[in-house]
Amino acid sequence: MIQLHAIEKLYGKQPALQQIDLTIPKASSFGLVGPNGAGKSTLMKILVGVIEDYKGQIKIDSAPYVGNQTAMKQRIGYVPQDICLEETLTARDNLILFGRLYGVKGKKLQERINAVLELIGLKDREKSLVSTFSGGMKRRLNIGCALLHDPDIMILDEPTVGVDPQSRRAIFEMIHSFKNNGKTVIYSSHYMEEVEQLCDHIGFIDRGVVIEQGKLRDVLARHRQSSIYVEGKGISKQLLTGFEGVTEHEEGYLIESQTPLQTLEAVTCHLAKKAILPARLELSQAKLEDIFIKLTGTPLRDNGWEAQQ
Amino acid sequence: MTAIALMELKKKTKDKGLWFWTFLLPIIFIVGFITIFGESMGADSEQLVVQIVPGYTVMFSFYIMISIVIAFIKDRDSGMAARLASTPLSHLKYFLGKWLPFVAVVLLQIVILFGFGVVAYNLPLGDPLALTVLSIGLAFVATGCGMAMAVLAKTENMGIALTQVIALGGAMLGGLWLPVEFMPDVLQSIARLLPHYWALEGFKIVLLEKGTISDIWLSLVILVGFGAACSMVALLAYPRYLRLAKS
Repeated sequence: MIQLHAIEKLYGKQPALQQIDLTIPKASSFGLVGPNGAGKSTLMKILVGVIEDYKGQIKIDSAPYVGNQTAMKQRIGYVPQDICLEETLTARDNLILFGRLYGVKGKKLQERINAVLELIGLKDREKSLVSTFSGGMKRRLNIGCALLHDPDIMILDEPTVGVDPQSRRAIFEMIHSFKNNGKTVIYSSHYMEEVEQLCDHIGFIDRGVVIEQGKLRDVLARHRQSSIYVEGKGISKQLLTGFEGVTEHEEGYLIESQTPLQTLEAVTCHLAKKAILPARLELSQAKLEDIFIKLTGTPLRDNGWEAQQ
Repeated sequence: MTAIALMELKKKTKDKGLWFWTFLLPIIFIVGFITIFGESMGADSEQLVVQIVPGYTVMFSFYIMISIVIAFIKDRDSGMAARLASTPLSHLKYFLGKWLPFVAVVLLQIVILFGFGVVAYNLPLGDPLALTVLSIGLAFVATGCGMAMAVLAKTENMGIALTQVIALGGAMLGGLWLPVEFMPDVLQSIARLLPHYWALEGFKIVLLEKGTISDIWLSLVILVGFGAACSMVALLAYPRYLRLAKS
């Protein structure tokens, strides 16, 4: 289990993280979600020991991080948001470099490199210069460099930014294999659908503050609200005055409801009485992104608070 | 540290620009200036060769600073320095791993340029031990300056511009282009403040006067002193470099 308590980080006088408390269960896949600049990368850099000037405490399996950095770093595989590869070297040379940095040597290193090359799907390009790779291949190699020492904690900072659908699928499969092998995965993204697909735990972060965390299904249960969408000729807000929580949405109206089936039935009866046939009448559930916006008022793909600072 | 050093060496062997700056361009300069001065001034052949071959070797050894600046700033801006900080590698080992390959390149540069001098112009080599120790001193000071510049420079252009000032300014004022005896008294005094001058003086003593280590102790002390001062600056400024790299 990874525990973060009262983590604070300042950039100059600007707070980047404020009183962060997070608990990440062992062998879970934890999605850290927030808009660009919310503080996700800063938090990840603290977790992997890149940023050392912060306040607060981190414990991994009850052992304090500070004072055990070398041992802790050995347990972590970090995939940074930037592609950190030596472009003038081959894929294999890059893997050799990172393997040696984590103390993997000799025959074991060669075995690990071969296994990782298979996993990331670059076995046939191992002797090619990285400069000749596509963005997706570089992303996969970037992940491969974090795997050579077989860490039990994987920290991935927006690993799918700018990749093609095939590479994204390959990256998803890799992350599923980490989960299946019992590794703890911490995955940051501002793509909600990725997190919903990959993670079983989630933490929302905005403006350097964690605003919600827990099991994904619990968070969804706490905040997910169903709604009825109705659209068509003759349908107006005035017509729907008998319903609560009506808002304009796209070409029609959204009616929020805790009892969606009953509301759907009521709307259908109401329209039938008025002899109105809607062009669209749908039951929909709020997605993670809708929940995030509801909690923060910040659209996810906007530049966030930290970037604006 | 070995992993970083080996990777850097591998990169160096593939860097055609480095090969040009380090080996080809100095040889062109050496051939060109020996031809010009030999024919037009009728200078004593051995003295001319002992002025020009070590002189341009010293001057171009300082050009390693450009490669060091580029390597460090690239690591900083690409996120590689921050990525390496997430591994168990200590800061000092990273620093040394990046530094030592450049020392090796400068030593190889000295070997090749002096070797060329021997083959092409019968350059006398003198005491091998003194020559080796002095070469290490020169490599130490040139790369030490480069390391300081690399961690202090905010941009690549700034680092390259300052390198040009140090390499070319030092060569001009340090008597690498023209023996200091031909320079005005004020400039001769300035020359004695520069490591370039002391490196060349050391080489002249070893090559022309068959000097040993005891004869070049002053040059060695000054080179090592300069190198140590630059290294200290680099080490002190290194945490700032890492902070920039991490944010």
